[in-house]
Amino acid sequence: MHRKSVVKACILLLGVISIAWLFGHPSTSAREVSGRKYPQRIPVRFWHMWSAEWKTVVDRIVDRYNKSQDKFEVIALSVPGGADTKFILGAMGGDPPDVMAQWNAVIPTWAESNMLTPFEELMSPSERTLFERDSYPIVRRVGQYKGKTYGFPIGLQVKGVFYLPKAFKEAGINQFPKTWEELIAVSERLTQRDSKGNITRLGFMPGSWPETAPLFGGGMYDFKLGRLDISNSKNLETIQCLVALRKRDGYDQIQRFQSGLNTSSFGGGWPFIGGAYAAAVDGPWRVEQIAKYAPDLDYATALVPPPKGGVAGAGLGGGNFMIIPRSASHKEGAWDFVKYWSGLTDPLTAAEFYVWGGWLPPSDAVAHAPIYEEYIRKHPQFGTFVRAIGSPNVQAQPPVAYQVFVNDAAGKIEDGALRGEISPGQAVEQLQKSVDKEIARRKRLGYDE
Amino acid sequence: MKAQTRRDLLGLAFISPWMVGFLAFTAWPFLRSIQLSFTRYDILRPPKWVGLANYQSLLADDETFRHATWLTLKFAAVSVPLAIVAGVGLALLLNANVKGIAVYRTIFFLPSIVPTVATTAIFVWILNPQIGLVNSLLGSLGIQGPAWLTDPNWALWSLMMMGLWGVGNSIVIYLAGLKDIPTYLYEASIVDGASSVQRLFKVTLPMLTPVIFFNLVMGVIGALQYFTQAYIMTSGGPGDSTRFYALYLFDRAWRYSDMGYASAMAWLLFLAVALLTFGLFKTQKRWVHYAS
Repeated sequence: MHRKSVVKACILLLGVISIAWLFGHPSTSAREVSGRKYPQRIPVRFWHMWSAEWKTVVDRIVDRYNKSQDKFEVIALSVPGGADTKFILGAMGGDPPDVMAQWNAVIPTWAESNMLTPFEELMSPSERTLFERDSYPIVRRVGQYKGKTYGFPIGLQVKGVFYLPKAFKEAGINQFPKTWEELIAVSERLTQRDSKGNITRLGFMPGSWPETAPLFGGGMYDFKLGRLDISNSKNLETIQCLVALRKRDGYDQIQRFQSGLNTSSFGGGWPFIGGAYAAAVDGPWRVEQIAKYAPDLDYATALVPPPKGGVAGAGLGGGNFMIIPRSASHKEGAWDFVKYWSGLTDPLTAAEFYVWGGWLPPSDAVAHAPIYEEYIRKHPQFGTFVRAIGSPNVQAQPPVAYQVFVNDAAGKIEDGALRGEISPGQAVEQLQKSVDKEIARRKRLGYDE
Repeated sequence: MKAQTRRDLLGLAFISPWMVGFLAFTAWPFLRSIQLSFTRYDILRPPKWVGLANYQSLLADDETFRHATWLTLKFAAVSVPLAIVAGVGLALLLNANVKGIAVYRTIFFLPSIVPTVATTAIFVWILNPQIGLVNSLLGSLGIQGPAWLTDPNWALWSLMMMGLWGVGNSIVIYLAGLKDIPTYLYEASIVDGASSVQRLFKVTLPMLTPVIFFNLVMGVIGALQYFTQAYIMTSGGPGDSTRFYALYLFDRAWRYSDMGYASAMAWLLFLAVALLTFGLFKTQKRWVHYAS
């Protein structure tokens, strides 16, 4: 064994450690310089989860922003899969994006962990006044946790009914039903089956239990009392109606029918476009999608009708919102970009972005911008959702740190009820029990609720 | 420096790339997870000591944990023996001396080299109740096939059935084991008048037991960690019918940001795997026959 060999081996070891270190700690300048159009500006790293045709819209907005000023450069990165995990890892490693567009139920958990910057820390007094005065009620609810705004909406959603007027006319229905009961009754006539009894077109596909409950006067959270409210009689009534509808159309039949539908809802793949449903509850972004991929489709939209004695204009609101990590490097630039996109200070410019994406406006200022009104004239179906989003009856997701757990549990239990495995009463009971247990577990572990 | 020391250092330097990776990405997280299992840790804030609270919650209160454990054990209890029977059976067939046997062997081995994710994506289509291949074939026979992956009564069995698709890997090992059986044993048994069935049960299978034992141990470990297929195909549903242990662990860790709880789950799984493996090793004296 020569001394040279040992030296070579040591050099090899050092090389390995150096490479590992370089990969683990890329220099800031190396990250920032790559692929930049305006290297002299302050970089603002922006992550979002859009892909396909939506990514193009986001890129256009970013491009427009970068051209609108000369101080910041927003660098967009599409992270369509595992974005939450990547964000957490980025934040933990001290290298998060400066701003991120989200739509998942992350605010309570991340805000509770002190990972997000409250927008109140970034807004000037005049901006705050504008936000509180002009925004629709749901805008202020969507991103709030413990009284602070951690998510700034840039495109809202509340669901409505998309329907095929031709199918309704063929079934002898000339006017869209005014109540939930009427809609359920006529949907039976709208359902078509083949010679073997398999469904070929479903009359009506309703929204989920949490989405439908507000129409019945229910909801998973009591915003007045500030606590979860699962076991109320209205929630029970809602799931009873959803289960009755599923039972009437056939548990197994619907399961099979849905399994055969296109799993991709992008482009022209959305099953409603293909005529799989005569009426289906879905979001406003579908209007733009239909305009692009099925411009000749004859369809209309309507608010989901409430049951007799229910709450008109109610629903579960949500949408896309921006978050700024606590450890973001360039918060000023991030906030400037958020303001620009949301239209807080310049609604006329931002109105165009909302039109591109087919997103609902956050305020009347955007909704009444000429370009937005023109869009509604061109796509009258979109107007339904614009009218809906301003309603004070639109609820937000429960602002609790275990929101994801509540949503998962509700989805799972609703699924069981819609298969006929458990009764509606058991569904409410099981959801309450499941959430109570999770709360107890979290308390035992000392989580701050 | 002594020649032996130099040689040792050189060896260590050459394996250092692996050592660095192992220490940083396997050994350290492994040891750290012991500590984390006694803490409340949501990734975003420093871990906080909670003693045995995670273990207590898991064992005393968590119904999903109990369900996932039972489901995983059920899956292992059915899928592992099934894979062994299918693997040994096919290996015996592929051990026959017929024309084109190499082609047959290749065909059976091919599925096991296709990436799991790709196979899984294909099976989602094959098992589609409305437009899938399986139900279309059943339909042509006048049978209405079930909703394989969306019916809670069928989803688990569908995944077990799908597991047979990758049996090619173990077939190769069984084949190697079959080739290793001395021919004189067969010759002697024929001289003694043993029938083909007797030769199978008195010579082939006993001589194959070391290989079967190896596949049994690996199969049990793999089944208890079953994740990818369920994650892609069913995400634990419908209901909780395919919520396997590893899937629930993953949800707790990454979906609910509950790393302390997930670490406790990981350690319980580790202990279960270790105990089962130890138990299997204890039984081998009774039924595994080593040629020596």
